Amino acid sequence: MCVGLSAKVVKVQDGMALIDADGARREVSAKMLDSLEPGDYVMVHAGIAIAKITEDDDEQSDELIEELNEGII
Amino acid sequence: MDNKNTAEVITLAHGAGGHQTSELIDKVFKAHFSNPDLTADDAAVLAAPKGRMAMTTDGFIVSPAFFPGGNIGKLSICGTVNDLACMGAKPLYLSCAFVIEEGFPMEKLEEIAAAMEKTAAEAGVRVVSGDTKVAGKGQVDGVFITTTGVGEIREGVETSGTLAKPGDAVIVTGDIGRHGCTILLQREDFGIEANVTSDCAPLWGTVNALLDATNDIHVIRDATRGGVGTVLYEITGQSNVGIELNASAIPVAPEVKGVCGMLGLEPLYLACEGRLVIIAPNDKAELILETLRKQPYSQNAAIIGTITADHPGKVVMETEIGAKTVLSQPGGELLPRIC
Amino acid sequence: MKNEQLKAIIENYNGPKLRIMEVCGTHTHEIFRLGIRKILPPSIELISGPGCPVCVTPVSFIDEAVMLALEYSCTVCTFGDLVRVPGTKMSLAGARAEGGKIHIVYSPMDAEIHAKEHPEEQVVFLSVGFETTTPASCLAVSMAEEDGIDNFSLLTANKTMPSAYEMLKDFVDVYLYPGHVNAVMGNAECRKLAEQGISGVVSGFTANELLSALAVSVVKSQQGKPFFVNAYPRVVTEEGSPAARAMMDKYLETYDCEWRGLGIIPASGKRLKDEYAAYDARKKYSLPKVEGHGNPACRCGEVLQGKIKPSDCPCFGKACNPMHPVGACMVSNEGACSAYYQYGEEL
Repeated sequence: MCVGLSAKVVKVQDGMALIDADGARREVSAKMLDSLEPGDYVMVHAGIAIAKITEDDDEQSDELIEELNEGII
Repeated sequence: MDNKNTAEVITLAHGAGGHQTSELIDKVFKAHFSNPDLTADDAAVLAAPKGRMAMTTDGFIVSPAFFPGGNIGKLSICGTVNDLACMGAKPLYLSCAFVIEEGFPMEKLEEIAAAMEKTAAEAGVRVVSGDTKVAGKGQVDGVFITTTGVGEIREGVETSGTLAKPGDAVIVTGDIGRHGCTILLQREDFGIEANVTSDCAPLWGTVNALLDATNDIHVIRDATRGGVGTVLYEITGQSNVGIELNASAIPVAPEVKGVCGMLGLEPLYLACEGRLVIIAPNDKAELILETLRKQPYSQNAAIIGTITADHPGKVVMETEIGAKTVLSQPGGELLPRIC
Repeated sequence: MKNEQLKAIIENYNGPKLRIMEVCGTHTHEIFRLGIRKILPPSIELISGPGCPVCVTPVSFIDEAVMLALEYSCTVCTFGDLVRVPGTKMSLAGARAEGGKIHIVYSPMDAEIHAKEHPEEQVVFLSVGFETTTPASCLAVSMAEEDGIDNFSLLTANKTMPSAYEMLKDFVDVYLYPGHVNAVMGNAECRKLAEQGISGVVSGFTANELLSALAVSVVKSQQGKPFFVNAYPRVVTEEGSPAARAMMDKYLETYDCEWRGLGIIPASGKRLKDEYAAYDARKKYSLPKVEGHGNPACRCGEVLQGKIKPSDCPCFGKACNPMHPVGACMVSNEGACSAYYQYGEEL
């Protein structure tokens, strides 16, 4: 239901963040997130940054499967 | 409105056939298109080509008329020249018909004509016949141009969308989707900044060099409206074959990818105005690539797939997880999506 | 972990029949695009759920939007997704052909900016979407308040997911939760569902993430207890975005809302509170109550509930195809019918 775009934050000012995805840039709202900084990666949807991205998907799956095997989750 | 302003824009009088019409023709069109075949007579009188002829026509209504990488004038020459080139035909003669909106700035019209002159010269084609009509304000959007072209097909060349054969290689002559992406960003107010310019270019030089290297080419198509994806589907239908695409080999500029990511669009369906799809026997593919990469508009040429006897009518891709899926076809108008 | 290893976990499943519902339409789209269904063992069934906002938006909403464009001469700003959805008489594309001003935007905030820059126009934004998209509409209203403009309003059809999870739970063993809804809402609701016996895994959208979520579903199902796993922690945190939820709480109230094909679901809709009536297009223009009529042969409703496959509908692929969609599931790129039509056939 919600196409998300992962993009890098270039600039943050007045509640707006300039984001860059492969050289395509746009201003999006930064109001839904605390303390966004240049260099952060965010998930963007319909003109707002909805979440920070903390790692790559393959690191994520490594950890998940490890936790699954160890019975943590 | 004072006289100074009215002198600088196109008025209905410019299309009425009298003094102002001839002034417009002299000042803009003759100044830029002048050549021995363009006369004041009712029709051009031309020497017939020796071999087989190709002929094509195309209307151009791009909005905006000026965009990064070109304007409607350049586009109107490229579009028709490239259609001829796809049949292996050296472009010889063009006609062009203008429909201009009342109030269109004269300066802009000159800029368009200058771009046409430059592009026609590069393609080695002469504008031999023209027509100008002026439509009332609001009846057209700025300027519409229709060009018709005639070319001479090189001996021994036979290309057609019906000739793709299983085993053939599928080649594109450069990164895809730039024209469509450029126009979309110019036309719509999506607030997206990206350094994308149209790929609009006349490609007879490219095709000519290719045919110098080999005649053994089955299909050449320019991937204009509908993009490379639409052309590939058309060829599967015409030749009753399938296509297997290697998705990771398809050249796409990062900025185009970025814009497509934001708007949920597929680069394969964005228009190109300077890209060809070439289908040729696999054993000629390397020679073709090598030749293309020496030409100015095809340095990023790449082999992107293979013609198959399997799944006729379908374009199939191997996905990241190793499954095969069908390339989806858009339903009509290309719309950005958030879902 | 590599896709190959994740695939092996899924392919080797040999437990009892497992029905997994991917709730989110973007999941449906990606699952088809990647060909994930083709690698599933026969005992795993993937059902496409109702999480495509375009698909569940009732016909009457399109009729209202068309009315605003043609009879009230409003500038209707919309996401591209809605343009071709058929209404009772016509789609927004049809309204545009009849001279209606239909303006496609990337963000609701762009619609507000359009209103600010065009004070002579009455601008209505078609506010569809779930918890991920709704905060952006609220933000646009807050901008209109700050800018002090009175020519901007929303036509709302915003929906929330939890009541739909409740409603469909008997058809499903495991939900693949929509990652970007959880990114905003956090995981509390889904954990509560697990306590009630409804299992689910939050999934991201890349090939690796979808395979991970399916692998987790497979392994956890075999342990025999209801479970909840956040398999998208790089984006989804436990608490989500409190700021986004505060935004929705400020402007919106909950009501019983119609879903195309599913009927009225209690407490599943969001609309502007009375104090923001000036930004509510229905109230602002006193729109008459509209009764929408879809094509009676269309079985989108049953498709959305996972009761039938798109190919079981008599319209599918015949009267209804992406060029001439009859139902919303064929219009939306992420609709189950469109996905089946584009990718569904065996190779």
